[in-house]
Amino acid sequence: MSVSAKSLIQFLCASATVMLLAVVLNFVVDPLQYFRPARLFAAMYSPDSRMQDAGLIQSQRFDTVLMGTSLAIHFRQSDIDHIVGGRSLKLSMTGSTSHEQSFVLNAAMARHPNRVIWQMDDWIFRDAPEIDSDIYLQADLYRRNSKGIASYLFSGAMARESLWILARSVPLFEPVVARLTNGVMFKFSIADVDGINVLRPDFDVAGFYNAQAAVAAFRRITDPVRSAYLAEGYDYDAMVKTFERDVVGLIENNPDVKFDIYFPPYSILQFVAMRDASPATLKIAYDFTAYAFPRLTQFSNVTLHDFRDVKEVSHDLGNYGDVIHHSPAVDLKILSWLAEREYVVDRTAPLASLQRLKAQVEAYRVAR
Amino acid sequence: MLFNSYPFIFLFLPAVLLGYFALGRRGNLAPVIWLALASLAFYSFSNWQFVALLVGSVAFNYVIGLLLIARKLRPSLRFAVLTVGVAGDLLVLGIFKYAGFLAANLNAMFSTGITLHILLPVGISFYTFTQVAFLVDAYGGNVARYALPHYALFVTYFPHLIAGPILHHKDMIPQFERSETKRPDAHLILCGLIIFAIGLFKKTCLADGIQPLVSLAFGPNAPSFDQAWIGALAYTFQLYFDFSGYSDMAIGISLLFGIFLPLNFNSPYKAKNIIDFWRRWHMTLSQFLRDYLYIPLGGNRRGRVLRYVNLMITMLLGGLWHGAAWTFVVWGALHGAYLCINHAWNNFGPKASPRFAPAANLAAGLLTFLSVVIAWVFFRADSMDTALYVLAKMADPTKVAFGKSEMAYALFVAIYAAVAWFAPNTQEIMGYDHESRTVGEKLRGVRMRQLFLYATAAVLAFGILGIQQHSEFIYFRF
Repeated sequence: MSVSAKSLIQFLCASATVMLLAVVLNFVVDPLQYFRPARLFAAMYSPDSRMQDAGLIQSQRFDTVLMGTSLAIHFRQSDIDHIVGGRSLKLSMTGSTSHEQSFVLNAAMARHPNRVIWQMDDWIFRDAPEIDSDIYLQADLYRRNSKGIASYLFSGAMARESLWILARSVPLFEPVVARLTNGVMFKFSIADVDGINVLRPDFDVAGFYNAQAAVAAFRRITDPVRSAYLAEGYDYDAMVKTFERDVVGLIENNPDVKFDIYFPPYSILQFVAMRDASPATLKIAYDFTAYAFPRLTQFSNVTLHDFRDVKEVSHDLGNYGDVIHHSPAVDLKILSWLAEREYVVDRTAPLASLQRLKAQVEAYRVAR
Repeated sequence: MLFNSYPFIFLFLPAVLLGYFALGRRGNLAPVIWLALASLAFYSFSNWQFVALLVGSVAFNYVIGLLLIARKLRPSLRFAVLTVGVAGDLLVLGIFKYAGFLAANLNAMFSTGITLHILLPVGISFYTFTQVAFLVDAYGGNVARYALPHYALFVTYFPHLIAGPILHHKDMIPQFERSETKRPDAHLILCGLIIFAIGLFKKTCLADGIQPLVSLAFGPNAPSFDQAWIGALAYTFQLYFDFSGYSDMAIGISLLFGIFLPLNFNSPYKAKNIIDFWRRWHMTLSQFLRDYLYIPLGGNRRGRVLRYVNLMITMLLGGLWHGAAWTFVVWGALHGAYLCINHAWNNFGPKASPRFAPAANLAAGLLTFLSVVIAWVFFRADSMDTALYVLAKMADPTKVAFGKSEMAYALFVAIYAAVAWFAPNTQEIMGYDHESRTVGEKLRGVRMRQLFLYATAAVLAFGILGIQQHSEFIYFRF
């Protein structure tokens, strides 16, 4: 055998060895807690919930699941447990579509929760890619098939996180590593499962959530240059079809699970923006509600809450960071309403809250 | 199919390689046909709807070439045949790449209501240019007669098909004809794998690693001064590592088959001026534009003023070649202007005294780099408005965020800059010489230094481990 041939074999074997070492490291440290809850090493969590949820579903004990978008991302699981009851797992994903939410919820159903709290709005039903074409969510990781497991174990990025977690577990390095772990260089920066995507204690709540911020956002989205974004993806027929597939399908397949579905209290400015800058979009939003509410209230395992017409919240612009995102104080109110079954949509009059909302939107005048 | 994907690395490439060398034992033609068919299969994995277009284009150009090479036609008829060939190529390119752009502009000017949504066949810009060069050379009497399989392989050869390097028939077809390339050469395979590993690492670890920072400038949020600069610089390095990584991978894959591809990059951000930059960046495109556009336009032979006009025309069309959008036209115009200024400075500007030469070189290098970064803003932006907005933020130091995150990002960018400016490039590491068809000569015959071997093996492993679900190369869309 020539010298080059020997070197070639050596080269290939060395490469394979490095890859195998990474696989072993990922399997042993298991940053996602995908194979087992963390025992040997300190548990660390990532704010990237589309990835993190695949591990949380496997490693956490829960009987209640919270799902939603950025409007349900800052909840503390401990608050949900304390106010609503049960042992909760937050799986909310920022900017998620109903397709992503339904897919992740479906994976969570394998752990047999008895309750799902689902934050829903018309926005999540806009056109979305098929789950296997979704570049942000690794579907196979949730399916736990060989492709998903291989992509997890053969991931260099995950090996880097594994090394970091390993270093953090050495008492000598722990203080230095903990100080350097800020989420910029290393993704698994959260030490407490209850702290995933909650606002940091030093977050300036009053500086972020205030009437000026809400009005500024209103001006921005109603600016003629940008107002077209309000209508982006709104197509009534497509939304209904997506709703049937993602929501109705999941509810029908899980008759023993109780679904608490709530429509969050947007600021009134969101609807007023549609009214003023994109009335056709507002009509689609109303029509969608007129379809979805009677449909949801048909199911005995669904309790539907509509918080959109809760005037004392939606008209108090100080609650908002823009036209839809509300403060942590409103998060707590939502949990109380869910616990006390307030603002539940009446099965005999499912569109009553929609009529109230329409009247409020019609009457509202924006301060000049 | 992507080079940076598991199916390509672990299935397609080994299968094609085995088939190529197995058929190489039986003759010289069968491996060429095998490689051409494999290239079509490679193309069809993600672009099956355009395989017929590619095959049609190859057949059309081969027939036109045959008429120009083999038939003794009258000069006027020869010119007519060339015109038909080039016009046919440009027409197809125009329909698929520029018709939508033209319609949008007509619509904007005259409210015509015309809207066209035509899918862009991947690699069309590359295989069109390759074949236009072939026809022009055939017309000039500079092409020997080639067999169809060799010509088809020259156009479709999968390492370069999607995003270059832009190949020249005189360079490639004689290599395809050589019987030595059909026998496995452990030295070339090892060197090819190492070059592929470096390219894969550049793509999956470096380019994909810095990609998230680009959104600081070009994302939905309004950037501050520092964020705009970090985003623009991040794109500058992302594009370099992405495209030069792709080119390295193409060169490495080709070496496995015993074929030497031309270099496409030579540390462009080390350039001391814009002329130097274009000798180092996308070198095969620069050579093509020089030989088939700038020189036929007259080059520098008709006085200084016309030289500048020719430079501007060449760079404007070079910009438009990248994409059918005004941002690319402006990018090309900027580089055209830079080149004119550079030539004018060489002719009329003062010469730095030897005492100040190092400082002058440093200043020239920095100015060149900054000019390139500013032009990349147009190259990256979705629209002229976005480009001007980002540039306005880069010019407004009154709003600075520079928090903990920005500091970490700046450090990140600085590391990339250090690699681009101070690290040796792939051909320097591997001693790759396209002209003399040699690579890794220092490594041949003696046992490779263990440290080098293990380090490059680790680079291959990191490159493979860095593969993300789906990460296309930026130049796929051109």
